[in-house]
Amino acid sequence: MRPGEPARMQATINVTPLVDVVLVLLIIFMVVAPGMMKPGPEVDLPKTGTPPEQGDARDRLLVTIDERGALWIDDQQVTPDRFGDSLRLAAGGMQDTKVVIQGDARLRFGDVRHAMVAVEDAGFKDVGLIAQRAKAREN
Amino acid sequence: MQLNGGAQGSGLHSEINVTPLVDVVLVLLIIFMVVVPLAMQGYDVNIPRTSAEAVSAPQDAPQLILSILPDTCGILEPPAGEGVPADCRVGLADQLFPASELTAHIKAIMGGQPKEQRLLFLAADDRLNYEGVLRIVDLAKAGADDLKIGVIPVE
Repeated sequence: MRPGEPARMQATINVTPLVDVVLVLLIIFMVVAPGMMKPGPEVDLPKTGTPPEQGDARDRLLVTIDERGALWIDDQQVTPDRFGDSLRLAAGGMQDTKVVIQGDARLRFGDVRHAMVAVEDAGFKDVGLIAQRAKAREN
Repeated sequence: MQLNGGAQGSGLHSEINVTPLVDVVLVLLIIFMVVVPLAMQGYDVNIPRTSAEAVSAPQDAPQLILSILPDTCGILEPPAGEGVPADCRVGLADQLFPASELTAHIKAIMGGQPKEQRLLFLAADDRLNYEGVLRIVDLAKAGADDLKIGVIPVE
């Protein structure tokens, strides 16, 4: 298209919207993928008034206690006597990793407290108890 | 994009092309929709060790113990609805009062202390329901910023 030449129909396909859509999909999958691989069994989280933010779910060691009191590290069920070793193994030697405990709402407080003691015995200092904001129920 | 000199007949496009703008806004919308549920919410807690450094309170500061016992606060099952049952009473510094007043008591006691000395020991009976105990912890947390919680067993 040189200057002076009469304008003609644009014969090239405008790829900008296509690229936009593809980028959107890419970003969606980048963001969703870790959430879809959320490890551990389904638990009924305790619902409280205003739980403080704990930041991103990644970079954490996720310990789950299901409604029967069984312990899980990520998606692996572990026996109580191997819990400490498994936890250190999962942390890969990084003892300052934060451990978050997802306890089922139907548990007794003692079940969760014993798990917390086990986490501290394994050498981890930073423990968080996961809750859910009461208004965001049925999520 | 028209080059100079071409196309006398076709007029200039005078309207703004909003398509890229809409695209970007939609992307941001979707990102925020997806990221928000991924963030976790919860309470930081400590298990004070008798032998270790952990969360030893300064000697001059009194140790504040919040006790939740089944005979004064019988939440043995997950509490229905929101909040803590009205008949639940908790003990704080040798006083027994309804759990709904806990936020005000914590605010009165902790308000004057520097943030690093705000430490509350939680002595909740093992038989109590976990969700009920967390709801009481939530009430205590609402009373003071940066309140540290140390979980101790009930003797």
